[in-house]
Amino acid sequence: MTRGVESVNVRVDEPVEVARQLAAPLSRRGFVSRGIALVGLGSVLPAAFVRAVFAEGTPPGVTSKRRALVVVQLGGGNDGLNTLVPYTDGAYYDARPRLAVKPETALHLSPTIGLHPEMTGLKALYDSGQVGIVQGVGYPNPNRSHFRSMEIWHTASMAEHTSTGWLGRLLDATRFEQKQAWRAVNIGSALAESLTSQASFVPALTSIPTYTLNTDPRARGQGDRRVTDWVRLFAQQAAYGGALAMVSETGTKAYQSTVDLRREIGSYQPLANYPGTALATALRTSAELITSNLGTGICYVSTGGFDSHSGQDNTQPALLRAVSEAVSAFYADLAARGMDQDVLTVMWTEFGRRVKENGSTGTDHGTATPLFVIGGGVTGGLYGETPSLRNLDGNGDLKHSTDFRSVYATVLEQWFATDPKDVLGGSFPALPLFA
Amino acid sequence: MAGMMTTRQRIQHLLRRTGFGYSAAELGEYVALELDGSVERLLRPGLVDDSVVDSALAPVLAVFDAPGDPQDPSVRRAHREALWAAWYLRMTRSRRPLVERMTYFWHDHFATSIGKVDSALLMHRQNELLRRNALGSFRDLLLGVARDPAMLIYLDNRTNARQAPNENYARELLELHTLGEGNGYTEQDIKEAARALTGWRIGEARTAVFRPNLFDSGRKTVLGQTGNLNDATLVDLLAGHPRVARYIAGKLVAAFVRPEGDTALRERATATYLRTSGSISEVMRTILLSDEMYAPAAYRAIIKSPTELIVGAKRALEIAAEGRTEVEISNRMGQRIYDPLNPAGWAGGEAWLNGTTMLARSNFIAQLTALGGNGAVDIPGLLRRNGVTGSASAVVDWVLDLLVGGDVDAASREVLIDHIGGVHFNFDRAAREGTLHGLIYLAMCMPLYQVA
Repeated sequence: MTRGVESVNVRVDEPVEVARQLAAPLSRRGFVSRGIALVGLGSVLPAAFVRAVFAEGTPPGVTSKRRALVVVQLGGGNDGLNTLVPYTDGAYYDARPRLAVKPETALHLSPTIGLHPEMTGLKALYDSGQVGIVQGVGYPNPNRSHFRSMEIWHTASMAEHTSTGWLGRLLDATRFEQKQAWRAVNIGSALAESLTSQASFVPALTSIPTYTLNTDPRARGQGDRRVTDWVRLFAQQAAYGGALAMVSETGTKAYQSTVDLRREIGSYQPLANYPGTALATALRTSAELITSNLGTGICYVSTGGFDSHSGQDNTQPALLRAVSEAVSAFYADLAARGMDQDVLTVMWTEFGRRVKENGSTGTDHGTATPLFVIGGGVTGGLYGETPSLRNLDGNGDLKHSTDFRSVYATVLEQWFATDPKDVLGGSFPALPLFA
Repeated sequence: MAGMMTTRQRIQHLLRRTGFGYSAAELGEYVALELDGSVERLLRPGLVDDSVVDSALAPVLAVFDAPGDPQDPSVRRAHREALWAAWYLRMTRSRRPLVERMTYFWHDHFATSIGKVDSALLMHRQNELLRRNALGSFRDLLLGVARDPAMLIYLDNRTNARQAPNENYARELLELHTLGEGNGYTEQDIKEAARALTGWRIGEARTAVFRPNLFDSGRKTVLGQTGNLNDATLVDLLAGHPRVARYIAGKLVAAFVRPEGDTALRERATATYLRTSGSISEVMRTILLSDEMYAPAAYRAIIKSPTELIVGAKRALEIAAEGRTEVEISNRMGQRIYDPLNPAGWAGGEAWLNGTTMLARSNFIAQLTALGGNGAVDIPGLLRRNGVTGSASAVVDWVLDLLVGGDVDAASREVLIDHIGGVHFNFDRAAREGTLHGLIYLAMCMPLYQVA
């Protein structure tokens, strides 16, 4: 039995000491906070810190000192060819007799390329020069497993068992101060692997009001006592190490972050009409966090349902419409606050789909796919090569022309003024997204 | 130090892993059987009388047999309520807990979501299929799932035809259900396996039917084996494959012993699998009777899933589940039963832990131990029934034995003793003021209760 406790010799009223004496690393993928003081009830976080972290490298024309990144993940593998449609390419219509978007309904962006007809909101943003679309994004030796391909995108690494995500490594590389829990936030109850870090706790929340530790209102006079004892037990049991230390530290930091959240959140009211979809609600929560005093610089948002093996004609249009409307409302809200220049949205999916439709009015797993970069700070337009529908790989899939890590490198270097090599472990050519 | 684990502690550890925890009375029954007898009781559910649960289930399950169009909105609503109610009732009350724990394991392994299947009736039938085969032959289970209407819908095999192949199910069959990602198969194997799986449709009574005209009867080569493979011969090929045996054995070891796995035990469990033609109960016997199961590296090493936490708390406090509230509470902790986010099931382990899920775990316990309101738990009654009313330390020690198998550091124990009054403890006053509820709240929130 793992009874390391007695030898540590701690007192219950000294949680700081408990944490200081934690010796062993916690986990291969969790955050580790060896030697760092666990904090009891309440602490003050320096709001200036995030500005320091995320303010450097402000591009010309951006006046605010605050910059944020919102990552939107379209889970399941969105069909890129029906999102960014090559509406003059006969090979596209040959491969998609039932699913192809008609040339006249595509929202034309160029003489050959158009958006899916449901994406009118995004088209309007594109027309105002705020959307960059990188075509043919992928990576060498594409993996058609959802899970492995997502892992590659999240970790930005081709090595299996990479224990941190690319944004987690960004947090670690720019960590000046431990108590800055809210500089990155996951919206939703499952923390995205992109945010997995060695040393930074990242809150995940489903909504701001529910992110709280409840006590029993009927236990009169007992509520505070319960919280105090809860904090003591969590601090104490970190000393067991292993899975118990992970639970203890996550609980302690979660509680701490509820205290910080209540103090700094402010009184946000949306300045745009957000649709009722989960994605729109998540982006509204992102807007609330980014515009608060919490210093939030990264929000991670996920939405799913794109795995269109069958009945794609029934599912994908509604999904693309929901994406387009949510993003459109988000930027209307930010623009009304003069912050649309300062918030960058990157929207990705783990792979595109096979060129040829299958027998179920659907498409099976494929490879290269477009990636969207959105915001007032972006130089709008089409980037990268349009993938050829004639020069396919051995599986009948598109060949990628831009490595997704080039997009990450561009964001790290030009948006966050961080050396991409520290995060990506290699060099990838930047794109002129903000030039 | 595991050598220091008493038989009682080993049985408590075993029941945390295989039985969603235990009530005080249940623990007594298992302790009387000693460790080997406890494992036998778990592995031979047919010898355990479960008629009380069967009687309680009958009215819930009757909904699925009642006449009425399954597409009718009121029938659909009734089916949905019965779906969760039936399984939570079984998990919280069955005296054959390993059957439910294995059914839950297979639900995660063969993850299928009601979101896409859109039929509580079919999800319920799949659940019954998993339960029937939970401790049986892996081959039978695999073939049952291949022909299960919910799976045929979820991974699109109902649209897979000779004329127009759909490789969704074939890919996940190899990647998730049998071999593991990248474990020695190719894109070509997936395409050929998809051809072997053609021909299945969902018929009139919402059951699977085979349509020969949609089946691809040509030669296929999967994992180097060539022939006119169909779903049954493909399943035979897979279920008998040593790499599949190792993958399944390894996944069971990770789920029941320690998340990091254990190579030596996995190899012994693989040997058992191959020797017994994939008998799940024999593989489980190898695992549950192994030294590794009770080794220090396995002790308190598994982070409870939301389901394990919810069901375990209800079993310990002897409260019934009704299904509807549990599913939403579990969802807040990151797990909605019958609705996994993707075909890989739940990532589990550390992935259960983040800010919002940790708060949701404690907030569930707060609700469970609330002093009043719907379904409030009579904590003082539970303690009185078990004759635990003496000193603060006696109450705390009984609670800690029930919830975490004792073995708690002195400082944590002191926090709990102080919470109910320490040397000034008075049972009736503590009951009145709510500190006995507070004690259970704290003991169930604390990290030691969050692990198994």
